[in-house]
Amino acid sequence: MVGEGAEGGPSFFRKPTPPSTPSHLRPSLPPPPPPPAQPPLPTAAGGSTPGPEPSRASAVRRPVFHGRGGTLFGIHVVNVLLTIVTVGIYYFWAKTRVRAYLASQSEFEGDRFAYHGTAGELLLGTIKAVLVFGVPILILQAVRDVLDVPPAVRGLAALLVAVLAYAFFPIAMVGARRYRLSRTSWRGIRFSFRGRVAELLKIFLVGSLLTAVTFGLYYPFFLVSRQAFLVSYSYFGNERFDFTGRGRDLFSAFVVAILLTLPTLGLCWIWYVAFKRRYFWRHTSFSTARFACTVNGFALLKLWLVNALLLIATIGLAWPWVRVRNIDFAFRNLALVGPLDFERIRQEAQQAGSIGEGLSGFFDSGFDLA
Amino acid sequence: MRTDWPGFHLDGQTATRRPATVRLMREGLEISPVGAATRLWPYREVRQTQGFYEGEEVRIERGAPLPETLVVAERGFLESLHEVAPQLGLRFHDPRRRAARLRLTIGAAVAVLAITAGIYLWGIPALAALLAPRVPVAWEESVGRSAVGYLAPPERRCGDPELAAATDAIVRRLAGAAPPSPYTFRVYVVSHPVVNAYALPGGRMVIFTALLRETRTPEELAGVMAHELQHIVRRHATRAVIQDASTGLLLMALTGDVTGPLAYGLQTARTLGELRYSRRAEDEADVEGMKMLLAARVDPAGMIAFFDRIRQEEGPTPRPLTYLSTHPEPAERIARLRAMAQAWKGTPEPLLPGADWPALTRRC
Repeated sequence: MVGEGAEGGPSFFRKPTPPSTPSHLRPSLPPPPPPPAQPPLPTAAGGSTPGPEPSRASAVRRPVFHGRGGTLFGIHVVNVLLTIVTVGIYYFWAKTRVRAYLASQSEFEGDRFAYHGTAGELLLGTIKAVLVFGVPILILQAVRDVLDVPPAVRGLAALLVAVLAYAFFPIAMVGARRYRLSRTSWRGIRFSFRGRVAELLKIFLVGSLLTAVTFGLYYPFFLVSRQAFLVSYSYFGNERFDFTGRGRDLFSAFVVAILLTLPTLGLCWIWYVAFKRRYFWRHTSFSTARFACTVNGFALLKLWLVNALLLIATIGLAWPWVRVRNIDFAFRNLALVGPLDFERIRQEAQQAGSIGEGLSGFFDSGFDLA
Repeated sequence: MRTDWPGFHLDGQTATRRPATVRLMREGLEISPVGAATRLWPYREVRQTQGFYEGEEVRIERGAPLPETLVVAERGFLESLHEVAPQLGLRFHDPRRRAARLRLTIGAAVAVLAITAGIYLWGIPALAALLAPRVPVAWEESVGRSAVGYLAPPERRCGDPELAAATDAIVRRLAGAAPPSPYTFRVYVVSHPVVNAYALPGGRMVIFTALLRETRTPEELAGVMAHELQHIVRRHATRAVIQDASTGLLLMALTGDVTGPLAYGLQTARTLGELRYSRRAEDEADVEGMKMLLAARVDPAGMIAFFDRIRQEEGPTPRPLTYLSTHPEPAERIARLRAMAQAWKGTPEPLLPGADWPALTRRC
């Protein structure tokens, strides 16, 4: 394995590491023996000895994924059978079962996560999404392309189609996040998302306008403001997540990646993705603790290559193993560092419909809290 | 049997995890968290939400929507629970039935394999055969239009007016003698080193220059065109597109993923270039194509000579000849065409008299 530090990747991506990263997030100790190929994870400030009993005040807390491809494959096989037999209706139950399994195999501080969503909610959300977006868009498209109507009506229909299609993404994004977080718990405390669609819509409008005007150079700023919105309105109980990333930090990596696209035949974008993940997590905090992330380009490249080979060699049958590998990879490279007082956290659940969830089922990226 | 188990209690209000002792009773669970009051949970008021799979802790919840939770790590807990309260049956997961569950899962896997194979081999072809004749011509045309942009990009199309006039004349002669059809036939000659030709849904046909140059007379090209025109008129291409899309849906059900198969479906234009018709579709296009030639009084010897030559050249050489290799059993097909031609009593009328065909085929 290539010698890789926690900062990872070629030096060109090390540079943008923001000066604001607290020094205790930098690796200071060699990696613990069990995960051999892994880069060292940052350890707690004050050099507390890593052991089975982390100190309550300040510690490095790591999520652990226990899921196994074989078990997920078993779930998947039954899901496929029932989905085919029910002409697709079981799809929502299948999705819920897989989510419940993945959550229950995710452990943090000795406790598993739990997924509380139901297939009925997903089904209802999809029906609503079809009624609110699918049917109107179809009708308006028919008015625009097929029916014989005056040009003014045709123009209006075209405009409405564009508006609906444009509004779809932020609405789906907020709805899905609200639903997904409100149905996820740890130690009985629910997560929640309290961002409003109007705000994300504004971010999307400004983002796409400026991205177009600047020939794409604004894109990293747009990504960061979107991430800030998604993270800083996320709660665990009554405690909020926070995001301190800045567009200009991602911008330099973005520009470097663009410049290196031709010489590296596009491979540099893997390092960009790794940098972005690291950057996003390292600027995400929860209460008094901060996330640390050690994803690097080589490891990500290896993960994706093996995944692609697995999928190709098995004509897609290895999908459950690939899913497990992805989550395991994300968890192994993630830690929550710093003092954290769980006693302070109180339940504060929010209501959430499943409409956006239904919408985003099409764009689902799986178990991903970021 | 063991009735007392260590676990943790979550009150649903704080993130504090209290160690607790659970006692299995006949009618419920008695839970004594450290530093909190003992509580009794009747079995009918609780539900198990985790602990169905190997390595998973048993999780039991009570109340809604924000439940109190009991977590027990030891697997033996569930077995004891079933012993203490046998009346519960399937309300709680029973690890002793794991072998049966495994057998069911394996059964499901076998069933999935069988059903998938059945759908792929019979279901999808039957569905396509049922739907293809009912697809409006306008839809076929729009699919053909988008596919031609990929298979015959404008910059590689041959723009020679004399060649276009020749192919148009052949199409007119063939279509003129055939029963009226709802399609407008268009021929695109594309410079490409592979000996091949495609029929697209809705009336479009793509001929590669390499195939054009293999033909020695206009009658030979007319044979190929009659064959391809029959693929269009008989809606073989449309049927293939439907099969392709249904295969995408099947793939979606298999992977439980929407995005991958969606991308697969969007590749329709590309796959149209790689279509393989069923053997029956090829036989039909051969027979009906030959009938079309004969009705138009085109010398059938051209089609036979061309197919025969391609077959012999395709045999051992690794040349980029794929026209017949995508078509089954060449020798048998040629024999059938020969029999049809011999049974014909009509007299052929020359196609494109006076044209310098070899020169025409090298215009692009």
